[in-house]
Amino acid sequence: MTTNALSTRISLSHVQPGDTARRLRTFVFYAVLTISAIIWIAPVYLLVSTAFKSALDFSTNGALSLPSRVEWGNFAKAWDAGIKTYFFNSLIMTVIKVPVGVVIAAMAAFALSLMNLPRSRLIFGIFLIGLIVPVQMTLVPLTVLLRNIGMIDSLFGLFWIYLGFGLPFGILVLRGFMKAIPRELVEAAFIDGCTWFGVFWRIVLPLSKPAVVSLLIFDGVATWNEFILAQIFLRANTNRTLPLGVVNFQTEFATAYELLAAAQCITIAPLIIVYLVFQRHFVDGLSGSVKS
Amino acid sequence: MSNRSLKLAFAARLQVSDTVWAAIFLLPALVIFSIVIVYPMLYSAWLSLFEWDGVTPIKTFVGIDNYTTLFTANRVFWIALKNSILWTVVALTGPTSLGLALALVLNRKFAGRGFFRSVFYFPAILSMSIVGLIWTWVYHPTLGMLNQLLGWMGQPSLQHAWLSEPSIALFCVMIAAAWHNAGLPMLLFLAGLQTIPPEVLEAADLDGASRFQRFRLVIFPMLRETTFVIVAITFINSLKVYDIIYVMTYGGPANQTQVLGTWMYFLTYNFNRIGLGTAIAMVLFALTLIFAIPYTRKLSKD
Repeated sequence: MTTNALSTRISLSHVQPGDTARRLRTFVFYAVLTISAIIWIAPVYLLVSTAFKSALDFSTNGALSLPSRVEWGNFAKAWDAGIKTYFFNSLIMTVIKVPVGVVIAAMAAFALSLMNLPRSRLIFGIFLIGLIVPVQMTLVPLTVLLRNIGMIDSLFGLFWIYLGFGLPFGILVLRGFMKAIPRELVEAAFIDGCTWFGVFWRIVLPLSKPAVVSLLIFDGVATWNEFILAQIFLRANTNRTLPLGVVNFQTEFATAYELLAAAQCITIAPLIIVYLVFQRHFVDGLSGSVKS
Repeated sequence: MSNRSLKLAFAARLQVSDTVWAAIFLLPALVIFSIVIVYPMLYSAWLSLFEWDGVTPIKTFVGIDNYTTLFTANRVFWIALKNSILWTVVALTGPTSLGLALALVLNRKFAGRGFFRSVFYFPAILSMSIVGLIWTWVYHPTLGMLNQLLGWMGQPSLQHAWLSEPSIALFCVMIAAAWHNAGLPMLLFLAGLQTIPPEVLEAADLDGASRFQRFRLVIFPMLRETTFVIVAITFINSLKVYDIIYVMTYGGPANQTQVLGTWMYFLTYNFNRIGLGTAIAMVLFALTLIFAIPYTRKLSKD
């Protein structure tokens, strides 16, 4: 504080005409940026502050005020009213599907980049179709398929579908990364007596770690957030994942605003934690898809 | 048999077994992908030629009748098509320019840059369904933030039932979507800006280029690749938009906010018109191809 004041005084003592203008510009820059940021994040503020209000507080003081008393009970109530089930469904799905999907994508990317596979470019091109096909193109046949094999309304059935939809992006990112690995490295390991599987597991996968980590996070967020497939293929309340369950919550507890807000906060809390911890990977993962 | 030909035979066998191994590594992905993506695409195309309620085993072949029905006899299809095109045009201009502006500002070096980047990117990590729920709240006629704010500012005449007035409902949903969608272009433009060598910008400054000239003549042309990727991704994602409309308006009021993605769902799952539903999916796919073809071509090139 004191050093700040001091440095301000020192710099003020030999102030130049351009200096004031620049300082004013800096001030305006920060002011505009801060106000924009506040407006930008206001909807989230609305959500979080509502989650901490009592029903009475919300109805009397309106949406904009701060909670008059912090009401933690909303979270417990929302949790017990069904969010718990949805939360664990989402958690199990994400924790199992994402690593499995990344390993399967990595195996394919390995075959397409470093192994001796004829027509690898064509096969890669076919996988890319998955990036552009509208999900609506697949809904009816998948419904019929899941119904025929008795996997409609089951998280296990949805697991396979999530795997399929996650593969193209995973293969795109990992293949791009693996192509930069020198082939000599693979051949050397091979001569040293490694099997293909050994080369993949002990050399290629560890070398691809940055891409793998980015992909785990990216796919984790996508799986956690997925709505349309879950909505079509899951029916029973006990099978619902969070995005679906929270929307359902909205129709069920139409006027219990504080519970709805708490439910939504529970849904986004894990995302916020992952976002804060792994922020750098969000950028890396996405840029990987452009530069490749 | 000479030593050399033995070696060659061995090498050939090694090659074959290498290919077999490669196929083994590829197999799980290929099988899952074929069942989940390729086969359904083909089957959807086939089903769009039939009339079927999705329940009974009887499918009646009707040729292209479903398509002619959509284009000549289905009023809502035209609303949905118009809205999808409108949605795409707005998405290609609004959130992308916003993302570019944010990227240009947040690419400058200043204290707190990382913090502001996190704040502006944050909505992009939320699911569209949650974004829809949050904004349904913002727009709530009596309890929503927007109307309360307008009341507080003494402008009650500007208050609206935002999501139930046909003329503005779709635009309100678009704003909510833009809040979520600005993050991706921002991030990609930031990554693109980092690839511009500082010498180029210095050279532009030395030549006396103004800030705007520098952007228009130097920076923007160098972002061409990035811009193409963003435009392609935005285009593809805009056409299939579904969840945010489902959550915020459910296609209403009076089907005025239907888009192709939601109308496909309604026809298929609410009205059991499988043929019409898959036909819409095909129209959707055909439109997607406008950008999907050059995009996948670019991706498979490098």
